[in-house]
Order: sequence, then C-alpha cells, then structure tokens
Amino acid sequence: MMHKDLKAEKSERRRLQASRSASNRLSRYVPLQAEVIDIDVESSNTYLISLRPLDEEDETVRLEYCPGQFLMVSVFGLGECPISIASTPTRDPLQICVREAGKITQGIMASRVGDVMGIRGPFGNGFPVEKMKGRNVVITGGGSGFATLRSLINYIADNREKFQDVTVAYGARTPHDLYFTSEYGSWQAAGIEVGITVDMMDASWKGNVGLVTSLLKDINPAPGTAALCGPPMMINAVAKDLVNRGFLEPDIYISLERHMKCGIGKCEHCTMGPYHVCTEGPIFSYDVVGDLL
Amino acid sequence: MEKIHTTCVYCGCGCGLYLHVEDGQVVGASPSPAHPVARGRLCLKGWLAHDFVYHPDRLKAPLIRRGERMVRASWEETLSLTAKRLKEIKEESGADALAILTSAKGTNEENYLLMKLARAALGTNNVDHVARLCHAPSVAGLGISLGSGAMTNPIRSLLRADAILVTGSNTTEQHPLVAATILEGQSRGAILIVADPRKTQIADLADIHLEPRLGSDVAWTNGILNLIIERDLADEDFIKERTEGFSALQESLSKYTPEVVERISGISPEDLERAAIAFGEAPRAAVVYAMGTTQHSNGTDNVLALANLILATGNVGREGTGINPLRGHQNVQGACDMGALPSVYSGYQKVEDPLAREKMERAWGTDLPSGPGLTAVEMMEAAEEGLIKGIYISGENPMMSYPDREQVKRALESLEFLAVADIFPTETTALADVVFPVASFAEKDGTFTSTERRVQRVRRAASPPGEARSEWRVAKDLMKRLGMDAGYSSPEEVMAEIAMVTPSYGGISYQRLGISGLHWPCPDTSHPGTEILHREFFPIGRARFFPVEHQDLEEDPEYPFLLTTGRSLFHFHTGTMTRRVHLLDRELPRPKVDINPEDAEALGVRRGQKVVVESREHRLEIEIEVTEQVPKGTIFIPFHFQEAPANLLTVHNLDPKSKIPDFKRTHVRIRRSDS
Amino acid sequence: MTTTSALFLDHENLVPLLEELAKTLEVVAPVYAEGEPVFATWKGEALALDADNPLNSPVEFFLPQKEVLFKYVQYSGRYTFQEEPPKSRLILGMRPCDLQAIKVLDEIFGTELPDHPYASKRMSTIIVVLNCTSPGEGCFCASMGSGPVVEEGFDLLLTDVGPGYLVESGSPAGMFILRAQSHHFEEALPEHLKEKERLLDLAEEEITKRRPALTPEQIREAIDETDWEEVERRCLRCGGCSLICPVCHCFSVMDRGVPDGERLRCRDSCVLSGFSRMTSGANPRASLGERLRHWYLDKFVYIPEKTGMLGCVGCGRCSRVCLSEIDRWSILREAIE
Repeated sequence: MMHKDLKAEKSERRRLQASRSASNRLSRYVPLQAEVIDIDVESSNTYLISLRPLDEEDETVRLEYCPGQFLMVSVFGLGECPISIASTPTRDPLQICVREAGKITQGIMASRVGDVMGIRGPFGNGFPVEKMKGRNVVITGGGSGFATLRSLINYIADNREKFQDVTVAYGARTPHDLYFTSEYGSWQAAGIEVGITVDMMDASWKGNVGLVTSLLKDINPAPGTAALCGPPMMINAVAKDLVNRGFLEPDIYISLERHMKCGIGKCEHCTMGPYHVCTEGPIFSYDVVGDLL
Repeated sequence: MEKIHTTCVYCGCGCGLYLHVEDGQVVGASPSPAHPVARGRLCLKGWLAHDFVYHPDRLKAPLIRRGERMVRASWEETLSLTAKRLKEIKEESGADALAILTSAKGTNEENYLLMKLARAALGTNNVDHVARLCHAPSVAGLGISLGSGAMTNPIRSLLRADAILVTGSNTTEQHPLVAATILEGQSRGAILIVADPRKTQIADLADIHLEPRLGSDVAWTNGILNLIIERDLADEDFIKERTEGFSALQESLSKYTPEVVERISGISPEDLERAAIAFGEAPRAAVVYAMGTTQHSNGTDNVLALANLILATGNVGREGTGINPLRGHQNVQGACDMGALPSVYSGYQKVEDPLAREKMERAWGTDLPSGPGLTAVEMMEAAEEGLIKGIYISGENPMMSYPDREQVKRALESLEFLAVADIFPTETTALADVVFPVASFAEKDGTFTSTERRVQRVRRAASPPGEARSEWRVAKDLMKRLGMDAGYSSPEEVMAEIAMVTPSYGGISYQRLGISGLHWPCPDTSHPGTEILHREFFPIGRARFFPVEHQDLEEDPEYPFLLTTGRSLFHFHTGTMTRRVHLLDRELPRPKVDINPEDAEALGVRRGQKVVVESREHRLEIEIEVTEQVPKGTIFIPFHFQEAPANLLTVHNLDPKSKIPDFKRTHVRIRRSDS
Repeated sequence: MTTTSALFLDHENLVPLLEELAKTLEVVAPVYAEGEPVFATWKGEALALDADNPLNSPVEFFLPQKEVLFKYVQYSGRYTFQEEPPKSRLILGMRPCDLQAIKVLDEIFGTELPDHPYASKRMSTIIVVLNCTSPGEGCFCASMGSGPVVEEGFDLLLTDVGPGYLVESGSPAGMFILRAQSHHFEEALPEHLKEKERLLDLAEEEITKRRPALTPEQIREAIDETDWEEVERRCLRCGGCSLICPVCHCFSVMDRGVPDGERLRCRDSCVLSGFSRMTSGANPRASLGERLRHWYLDKFVYIPEKTGMLGCVGCGRCSRVCLSEIDRWSILREAIE
C-alpha cells in the first residue's frame, strides 16, 4: 500500500518537476535541441521532418502537445521561426512540415538526418478538441497550412470513436502541391471522409478540379464543428460557406499565421488587434476574428 | 553603462547623439537633447547608429592579395608593402601616377593627413573624394558667385524664413532633421515651395509643388527670377551695394518667359508665377538644394542659377535666408574643408597660388607640386589608360557609387597597386592588393564638419574589433615610411596643425567643441564661430551674377525612358553599413524600380514582377514598384543595392565645370523580364 | 501607502552612501555626459538629480536596446548554450512615471510565460525612486494616473525636502539598505514629512493645470476620430516615439555567428513597415497610418484590457523625440474637440 503511494507520489513529483521545468524552459529563450531522424519529401519545396528532442544527456525528451500548437524552430546562425507541429501527440515521432519561404526555412530544409536544430515550445492554444468530441468535424484547408490540420486529422483517426462524422476537404494548386498523399487511404480506413481537389490539373490527375468550396458542395457536410487553415481569402470564403450550411460561428476554428519572434506574447510582432496570435491563438473561432480577417 | 556624446555617422545633418557602452561594447544609441540641430531627436538611421558596429563582417585583420585570394597579414607587412609599392611607382612613373581617394566618412584629421600624404609624401595633387559626385558644382558654382561653396546659413535659420524653396532634395528621406526644421518653419508661416519631378513626401507637404522635367532646372529658375525682376520684387539696394554683373544677367533672363519655361520644363505659367511671387515677396527667403540640382551634366549652371536668384532678391547674409546645399555624408563638408581636392589645400587655398603653396611648403617642410591634380572620375579614366598606376582608397566604394560601374572595374583592375581601407568588405575591397581594417566612427576620436559648417567632436566609445585601427594612425605610419616627419600622438594634435595652416579652422580646438561644436570660419581661439556667411562682405568682395542658359537636352528615341537615381530613407549610400542593420534592411530589403502606373500598364507589368532596364551599354533586371511618385516616362532606382546596381547603367557625361557625372538623367529602355 | 519607517538623508551623506553601496552593487544614477543628464554607471562623478528626468529612461536597464539572450557553441554536432547571469544593480533617481512603466512591463513580461531575461534583471535590481517636485515641460503623468505621487512599487523613495532627502522604504530590500547603512541616515522630522506633502501637492497641481485629465473613454473616442491618413502624411518615419517610450517593449531576435555565435534581441518598433510583414510579403498592417493607430490602441485600449493599467505613463518623451513635432496630447485633444 505504502509502496504504491510513494511510487505515485514520486511520479507525481517528477511530473510536476517536468512541467515546471517545461514552463521554466519556455520562459527562457534557450531552445531544446532536436535531432533530425527522418525527412520525407512532400513536394518540391516542402519536407516533412521527423525530430527527436534531446535533453542535456542526449536522452529523448517526449514533448507534450495538442494538435494546432506550434514550435519555434532554430537554425543556429540564421535564426528562429514558427512552424506548426504536423504530427499528432498520439504517435511518435514529433514532426514538422516545412515549406521554403525565407532564409530560416531554407536553412531547415538544408538539414540532413543526424543534424540538430533548436526547438522551443509547444506554444499556442491548439484546437479545442474537447469541444469537438461528440460532434461532427469538418477539416478543411489549403496550401502549406494543411500541415497543422494533419495533426488534428491523425489525432482524430487515433480517437475516432470520440467524434461523430468527420470530413476532410483539402485543396492545393496542382497535384504536385498536395501533401501527405500516402495517408489519405489511412484516413479513409479510419472512417474519415476525404475529399481532395486541385485548382489546376495535370495529365495524370483524375480527381476533382476546383476550389475547396465546390468540394464542400459535393460533400455537403452536416453542421457541427470545423477546423480551417489556409490562405486568408480561402478561409474567408470557406467560413462563410460553412455558416451558410448552418455551422455556428463559434464552432468554426481557424488557425492563423503571423510573423513571430518570441512565441510567448512578448515581442508584439504577431498582434492582431488585441490578440497575440502566439498565445491567444493561433486557433481562433470565427466569431472572434471574422472582422479581423 | 556609459554614455558617450558623439556625432552621427550617416548624413550631413550632423546630429549629436549618445552612444551607450556596456562592458566595452557599443550597445545602443539615444538622442541628444542639448544638440542644437537634433534637439533630442534622431531619424531611424541615427537611432540605429550603433547597430552595424559589431556585425560579423567587420574587417578585423589586414589582408594581402596572393593571386585570387586575400590572406591575413600583419600590419607591418601590409604597411611596408604599401609604402614600398607607392615609392616604386613614383620612382618608375612619376608622382602623378599615384592618387588618393579619401573618405567623406573619415574624420577631418584623417582627411587632412591623407591629403598631406598625397601632396607632401607622394608629391601629387591627385587627391579627391566623393564630393566630386555630389557637391562639386556647389564648390565650383558658389565659389565663383559668392566666394564660398558652403551652406551660407545654419540649419536652424530655416525656422525664420518666410519662404523656402527646396529643389532637387528629397529632404524627408535624405536629411530628416533639415526636413523637420523646414516643416517646423512652414508651421510657423513660411511658404514651402518644392521643385521635384517626383512626388516625394516633402513635395506632398509643400504649399507649392513644381514638377519640372529632368534637366530643365536652369530654365525654371531663370523663369522665376525673370518674373521676380519684372514684378519689381528684386532687391535693388542689395544688387547695387553688394553685387556685380546684374545688367548682363537681366538681359539674359528676359527670354525666360513663362511660356518658354513651360515649353522646356512643363511647369505651368500659373505655378511658376505663384512660386515667383511667394519667393519674391517674402522678406526672408531661403533656397535649399541637393543632388537633384547638382548631379547633372550642367550641375554647376543649376547652382549658379540658384545663386543668381538669392543674390537678386537680397536673400543672403541674414537670418532666414541663404543658399543651402545639403551635404550628403556626415563629413563630406569636412573632407572638402581639409583640401582632399585636387586643386586646393585645406581651407580652399589654391595649389596654383604661389603664396598658398609657399605657406604650405613652409608648414610641411617640403616642396609641393604646383599643377592641380585629377578629379575622381578622371582618375578612373586615367587608370584605365595606364596613366595612374597606384591608388589608395579610403572608406569609399567606387564600384557602387561611381558612374559606369564596368569602367570602374576595368580601371581598378588595371592598376599596378590598389590599397583600400574600410570597415566592411565591399565590391571595391574585393579588387584590392592590400586591405586595411579600420575603426568605425564609434571607435575613434576626431571631428566631423556637418553641412552647416559645424565642426563637431566624434568621441571614441569602444575599441575597434580585432586588429582594426583608426585610419589616422595608418596615414601617419605611411607618412613616416615615406620619409616624412609625422609625430602626431593623437587626433587632437592633428587638429592643432590643421588650425595652424587653415585660417577658417584657426580657432578650432577640442576643448572648445563640447556638444554644439563651432561653425567655421572660426579664425582664432576667441572667435565664437560664424553662423551666417556673407553678412557684411563676400570673400570675393562683391558677389557676382553669372548668366546661365538652358541647354537643350538630347533625346534618344531608342531609349525613351529617363532613369534617375537617388536614395531611400532607410539606406545610406552603397548600403555597406545599413544593409547590415536588421531593422533598416528589413524596411527595404530588395531593390525596386519606381515606375508610373500608366507606364507599367503599357509595358504589361504588375507590382512584384521584374523588368529589364537597358542603357546603351548595360542592362539590369529589377523588380518594379508601381507608384504615382514618378512622372510618366521617368523611372527611379535607388543606388544602394549591389544586386541591382543602378550605376551599372549611368554614364560619365561629366559637367565640364565641376566634373560631376550626370547621375540624374540616363536614357534607358524597359521591357518585361522573361524570368 | 508609504511605510512608517521614514528617514532623512542629508545631501552631504548621499555620496558616502552610494560609495558604500557601490562596493556590492553597480550603482546607476543620473550623471552628466557633456553637460546633459543621462542614466549611466556612477563612477563617483557629480550627480544630476536636480536636473530634468534624462531623455532615455532607465527602463533600458531591464529591456536593453541590444542584449545577448545566449551564446551557442557547436561541438561534434551538438550545441551548448551559455547565458550571462544578470548584474546586481541599484538604480538611483528613477521617476514615478518610469516606475509606473516598470509596473506595466511587470504585468506584460512577468506573467503567463514570464520573460526570463527581463525577470532576472528585475529581480537583481534595486529601484530607488526620486519623487518629481518640479514637473518637466511635456509631462502629463497625473492625467495618466502615473504621478507625480507614487505610493508603492519602489525599494526606496526619495523626496528632496530642502536640506536633504526624505527616505521611505517600500520593500524588504529597501529596509535592508536603511538598516545596513543606518549610519548615513537620521530620524525624519515632522517638517520633512510636511514639506514632502507640500511639494507633491504643488507638483500635482501644476501638472494637472497644464494637462487636465482625459478619461480612457475620451481617449478611445479620440483614436476613432483622428484622421490617421493625415498623421501618416506628416510622420517622418523615425520610429523615435516607440523607441523612446518606457512602456514600449517590442523586440526582434536575431543570430550572429556561425557555427558559434550569439542569439541577440534588440528593440524594435511596430510603426516600421517590416515589423508585422510576413516572409510571404503579406503585411497585416500595411499602411503607416494603420500602424500608428495600432500603437495608440495598444497603449490606450489593449494594454489596459490585459493589465488593468494604461500603456502610457504621461512622460511626454514621444512628443519630444518626434521629428514631425506630432504632439501626442494634441492629437488626442484635437480629435475630441
């Protein structure tokens, strides 16, 4: 009896220590190191990078996070930038999906297996999965923002019974720009309806052509909750479309992007009206940010 | 934490500021409330004046060329090699096969020593600096009309003006503190007239914006003066008592009727009249001008036209008046004052004047060459021809700032010896045989002279990085190695010598400078300095009117666009410092060409797309910015970016009177880029 | 409410006191640099406590213009990081407005995920506030509720009552100094306390006379009424307002050095166009007018919503450093009138 209590106490203490040092770590700007353990090429300018966070003794650190959160990723000598977490907390390893945009992302893309980069986080509020449980979920997006939605999709796939009807509606510019093509089958197998569309097809494409909104028209999802991520114009169009279908504005969750430097709401680069996208977001409900988009 | 009061390194406003020093490192900057011009304010570059100092690219060790590579060497090696090569070239080809280009960013003391090195140690008058590219017409023009090429009034004098004519100056972006003063003057009731083909911020805030065609300045300036005379607004007493040559001027002006001016410049008779009346009726009127006036193939004439205007209206020698050329670099005025020019010693004493030469020979203890030397662009031409074989370049980047970049490259590559002193590697250090790493403004003592003739202290706040040294030490060392007596133990001692041989600096000494410095002329140590020039008399006795005529400009139908170059608020000159300052470079990270919306539409290009801009000899590819700021048919490229160096396209086309190149008007054609 | 342990420090004893303190702490005080008051490390020179509040606020000792967050050293594919420990300092002569700025920054930087570099400096710095008895020309602290009277938040509070300073402690650290250095202090007499009251009443009267209070609602209204495009036309883009403001704290982070080097942070400004611009080129606040409006909203609407305190302490520095002479106060007043 006592032995069990002591063990519980010890693990509780260690958990508290870990969370204290976690948030302690988050307040300091010194990153954790993370080794690159795998690189998957998603498209010509996008890689899915698997990371193993390390502590001072080179032991693996397991990061606790939720879908929708992000990391501040460092390439020492170039700098640090925000990258969404693309993996689900229910599976190892930790993954980020990086598209080449500036000198830091170029630096990340130039890394090889075995190289080390810095990570800080997880930051941000993540998708409100507790509120989405027991309800329908429509996950829709386009562009490089889809990486953050993948985290949510795989999380749902691993907890499928907790959600009602789940639909994915994903659009990219061309077939070559589609990410995670090898996973669509596993999502369908998990009982998630998957719709894919492209703006411009090529000879090999046999799927839908058109905007995500027309994809939604075909799918005709029943109202529930929604998770959106993509270019501002697309988000606006899709959000309005969902509202027309009977979705309530507070149930539509949008992942936003901003220039960020600290990740903890201090540097003020990511402010949007009264909100810091890094702490009060990046997930906001449509009723809150509709006007600001 | 220590706070050291010094003078900003960027522009000719000469703002005082405090550098913050922590643990021997410069970590910040803040404004100086007591400084008479800055008065507790700075522009963004000034706020960030500390930021480039520890950039990792700072040159920290002397370098010597070995084949294609530059290798680290010791100061002893590099100095002795330099002295040896300069001596050899002098012995083989004569002193005039050598030249020195000094730095308008260097201190007065450094400029003086380098000029002395050229003349006394090397025996040549081939010494020049970038004033050649900016205000040589001011020196040439105002020198003969007023007797002095400098700004006649202090900056604060603009607060008392009743009318201010700003021409060829994008003041809010190039001289923010002067702009702030002008706008304050406007808020106190001065009428602000801005002449600029572009709609700059100061043009937008002006009461009257004149939009002349590029190259038509003589015409509209003459037109304004003609109207003023016709309306009896000229100052007849002043003309009679203090000037010469008015009747010849009046006659030459009569043909510049409003209709003729409109035909040449595009300025409507109504606007011309409004400007003329505003200027003519003002009890105190001032003219402010900069590169838009000088950087033309008739730059000196443009300046003379403006001089005629202020002389005829009696607007000189009083508070709130004057002709005010705005000097670009923080010490280009000082470099000129120190005689880093081919035809004068310090204080503008002419090398050809036997009395002046004798005086300097006595002071320096050596014979001196008597014929004027070559000017900067002429040096490039002579180098290409093999007449100049060795050059020492101080803190300058001719590869980016001189016209016709390819010619500069050929010129520098054909030299037998090139030594360059700088704080960062540049396109010019890349061609050098020897590179000297020198101290930045934060790391040395000395003085700068601002555009308003204010001689101010530069105070050392920290040590230079690595093995970098103050350039005055380099100059002194070379002088010694070339056989000269150079026992200076500090920049202060150099200033003592400057004061001895330069009448206008006679009363300048470090103890007297404090925060406000002193305006030259300051002939002796009890003199308080001279804020306003020409109060009682001109150095030449009476001022002179010089009639100048508009010269018809060549058109080139195959190259129908006019390229004009200039600057941005956020970058300075060739970007050596500012492109290494994160916040500044972030404001303007890429080169862009400003193009009028109608022209963009006709070319079928949209914002963000690229065009190819071609001159007769060269071409460059650059992203466009569509803006109403430029008129149809004109494009604007700032010259800060080595990725799209605007001076690849500019040509020499020198003004015969001052040898300044025509940066402001190059014929080009434009087409969409394929990429 | 000030503590009851008020003591008196004769003017003559100030320097000996500082000399003692300087043995264990870096003493930062207003001194003269080329004749003007600045906050700098005191090395025994003349103090500028009688002069105006230096233009550059002492908040820079908590949020420096440039600081090294950590150094990184690479070895065999792994990095080690070094952080510098903060310096133990005492800041003498901070004015109530700047102390108020610190309080606002404590809320922003000290809560939620606290900013470690700020927190560590904050906790190793002793603040000795000097009450303002003759307000500066551009000051409007009373209207912003940040002065001239200050009740708490300092370690020690000095008020110049003539022959010396009335000294009050506001924290254990302050108490410790009074006890450890008790030989420099005397008992405070009733007339010292009375003189403090009199001087501060006068100061408050003078300040409120010049700049009568504006309520937050009035300020919010003024922000809506202001023609931000017109302000944009006149703004000369120097960034001075946001760089000199003691509450402003925006920063940027950058690395310097490969493979070994430093990660630095430096002060930034939200009125600059590149501040919110994303790598894609999209800019949520693309026009200068929008950015200036955001700067005001942040101070008078967002910071109050978050912290319960105004983001402006009425120090007037923004107007002093403005190249366009855009007087903050007038913008707000004119907009309402």
